[in-house]
Amino acid sequence: MKKNLFLLTAFILSGPWLYSQSPGSPVQDKRPNIVIILADDMGYSDMGMFGSEIKTPNMDALAADGVRFTNFYTHASCSPSRSMLLSGVDTHLNGLGNMDEWTAPNQVGKPGYEGNLNDAVVTIPQLLKDAGYHTYMVGKWHMGKSPDKIPAARGFERDFSLLDGAGSYWDMTNFTALTPRSLYTEDGKYLTELPKKYYATKTYTDKLISYIDANHEDGKPFFAYVAHQAPHDPYHLPREWRDRHVGQYDVGWDMTRNQRLKKQKELGIISDSALLAERMWFIPEYALLAPAARALVGRKMELYAGLMENMDSHIGRLIDHLKEIGEYENTVFIVFGDNGAEGNDLAAMIAGTPGTRDNLYFASAWSQTDPNAWGDPGSYVGYGAGWAQVSMTPFSQYKGWLGEGGIRNALIVSGPVNKRAKGSINHGLMSVADIMPTLLDIAGATYPKNYKDKALPPLIGKSWSDVLAGKAESSRTPKDYIAWELFGNRAVRQGDWKLRWEYTPLGKSAWELFNVTQDPAERNDLASAQPEKVKEMLMLWDDYVQNNNVILPSRSPFEGLYDVLPARFPVDAGYPPLVNKRQYTPPQELIKSPKQ
Amino acid sequence: MKKCLSELRILIVHHFAMIGIVLALCLPDIAMGQGDGPRFYWKGLNGTNAIPVIGSSLGGNANPVDPSHNVVPGADFEASMTMAGYARMLPVFKRSAMISIIMPMGRISSDVSTNVLNNNTTARGFGDPMVQFGINVVGPKAIMNIPDMLRYKPGFSVDVMASLAIPIGEYDNTSPVNIGQNRWYGRVGLPVVWQIGPWVPGKRTTFEVLPAVWFFSDNNDFEGKKMETEPMYQVEAHLTHDFMERLWGSLDIISMSGGTATIDGIEGNALSNVGVGGTLGIHVNENMQITGSYSSTINDSNPEDLNMDGFRVSLIYGWHKLVEGMRRLKGSE
Repeated sequence: MKKNLFLLTAFILSGPWLYSQSPGSPVQDKRPNIVIILADDMGYSDMGMFGSEIKTPNMDALAADGVRFTNFYTHASCSPSRSMLLSGVDTHLNGLGNMDEWTAPNQVGKPGYEGNLNDAVVTIPQLLKDAGYHTYMVGKWHMGKSPDKIPAARGFERDFSLLDGAGSYWDMTNFTALTPRSLYTEDGKYLTELPKKYYATKTYTDKLISYIDANHEDGKPFFAYVAHQAPHDPYHLPREWRDRHVGQYDVGWDMTRNQRLKKQKELGIISDSALLAERMWFIPEYALLAPAARALVGRKMELYAGLMENMDSHIGRLIDHLKEIGEYENTVFIVFGDNGAEGNDLAAMIAGTPGTRDNLYFASAWSQTDPNAWGDPGSYVGYGAGWAQVSMTPFSQYKGWLGEGGIRNALIVSGPVNKRAKGSINHGLMSVADIMPTLLDIAGATYPKNYKDKALPPLIGKSWSDVLAGKAESSRTPKDYIAWELFGNRAVRQGDWKLRWEYTPLGKSAWELFNVTQDPAERNDLASAQPEKVKEMLMLWDDYVQNNNVILPSRSPFEGLYDVLPARFPVDAGYPPLVNKRQYTPPQELIKSPKQ
Repeated sequence: MKKCLSELRILIVHHFAMIGIVLALCLPDIAMGQGDGPRFYWKGLNGTNAIPVIGSSLGGNANPVDPSHNVVPGADFEASMTMAGYARMLPVFKRSAMISIIMPMGRISSDVSTNVLNNNTTARGFGDPMVQFGINVVGPKAIMNIPDMLRYKPGFSVDVMASLAIPIGEYDNTSPVNIGQNRWYGRVGLPVVWQIGPWVPGKRTTFEVLPAVWFFSDNNDFEGKKMETEPMYQVEAHLTHDFMERLWGSLDIISMSGGTATIDGIEGNALSNVGVGGTLGIHVNENMQITGSYSSTINDSNPEDLNMDGFRVSLIYGWHKLVEGMRRLKGSE
């Protein structure tokens, strides 16, 4: 350990010398490049190497070349996850204590709840840039729109960024009457229009490749944050990618979840004893749907699969390019989704009420409802809770919630820092907040106590260096915990245990306790059976609240959900028998025509 | 999920507008010179039925009801025709097929001042019913159910079709102008539909072409004479495009050649003409479509050239029991 520290210190001290060379004599910096590929709303089981039938050969190749992590946690929605990723600091301190779109009245104006990545924190690109890295970003930002909050102001020297949380993949159309246009920046300037032949995933990749090439000759390593908009809804994708799974999902979500679970067990992602989470009670049994309904509902999943595959192909383009310029072998890839798959109907939430301002806006900008237009500009398709649960196989719940389906995601790390067996799987407890200290280790940089004369909040993440080096199975001790709060839902995980409080009806508006190692599907609430464990975990929760400025919101998007969803009952396959009763056929000898 | 299922019902009913149109147009148009028309060979859900009512007003120097279009130089024919029929989509060997029958009826008047004719003549009544059968041979499989319908895109499709007129229409062997033709005739053709761009209502564009050959038996009692007609070659093409979800239009062109008529050994001229025109169609509701079209021959300045033009208005009503049932369920909500 001492030897490692010595080497690390020597490396850090040598860094500034390396970069002080004159411009005319570039010195080859052998520190690895770093590429973070963040897929928006990608589910835990959506990559082939995590059990999916969706074809993702390029991400699978990274997994085969690196290591897969099965116990990796993000936050429950976009901007909180992204803020923790880039700052390494808890959301309630970094400005995303709540999403900007849902800030509660009692949180307004409070530090940590600005709705953007606040100035109290420093970002990975700021520190890596200071350490001599080039820093590039392409894709979705969603952490502030004002000039002091955009990527260029937060450490990225080159960027092509969608500042909003979502929007069209084809143009600048956004979702509400008051924000009809998405905002984009390129290299710190706000764009008035998009490049010709713009398609988000393709353009992001093209831009990043151009940034890498522009500085390739100077010998400096680069950090690239590839925050793909895909596969977030609306499912916009080129026509040639839409029909690769026609009819495949007519079998439905139950069958597809079972197929994925089987593959996950074969791959070693999930233990052989793991059960599938109960289908959420408000999602119909697929077998009860008419063939036409299956086709239409299945079409949404077909598009999602196509969107994933399109994104994977562009990731492949980036990988191929890095190989062409000789940088692939010296590049660390970190691939994951930012939260659980999206089971909410965003379009309905925004514009689902006839006669409203946003409903009228949708009529003008988002009304391409014909299935053959799905994927085109003006179409809005999201696949809903049934398919979201497929994406989150074997878990329950989805984006926005703190069930495993909302926060656990698939993680791939590959590249020269990985000394574990290629294609191996690790079950250690990991957090998105770990990425900051991990990357600082990779770059030979440190997290400062102060940045630009401001004291920085402490990092909550743990570096993966020892795990990647094969020296440890987890970056956490059994005593370390991870905690979450968003929209009033709360959770703590320590070791095998998870304590969770969620709004009714997805939760119980009371604390529930799960052993998520044995029961990753969170089927068995053990709170009543193990009150001491609940008490112990509640102490962790209190510790988290106290140390991280947690202000529970006075209002929540989920506060009235109990009145919207149907009453919750257990889901028993085939119940009630009525729905599966078939025509009775009497014995042939007892059949006759009526007497006239 | 309830929203999703409701969405499905809306989509099915929406798509039915297309089905209705398809069936309505899949009826052979006996009023020649205009051809079958655009969007004639689009496919619909099997089991769909349609009834068309077509009104035509045609004029020129040949009998518009006679598909051989024997030109009578100096003649002025005027025809007001109505046609009604029935068509049904059905699968044959898992391919889309359609069988239809159409009955012409109406009135034709001619004002002729030539060596052959020098009088005013009027014919009225029922014409020769025509049956037609067409089957797709290249392109998507038959639309057997609503999932197939939702997934249907014509791409590049080719049909084989054949039609036959049954000579039972009213015929006066003392008159040169008749609605019935007193002979068997029919055609075979290879309709082609080529989808250009997306298959989305409001955006659909197709290029359609129909090469066909007409065959005619002899009329042994054409004013007491024998009329023989050689095969006639027809090529019609259409460039169609949706202007809006329920409004579309087409540029039409039709060419006819051959079809030389010989009356008691005296051979007439072969046809060699081109007609151009346009069509507008509107989906009135889920069951009904109305189209209006106009076409006129071009390069027709010589007396021997076919000179003909015409208006046509079609009203087509289509239905399918499944879609009707879904509409009733929707109404009961």
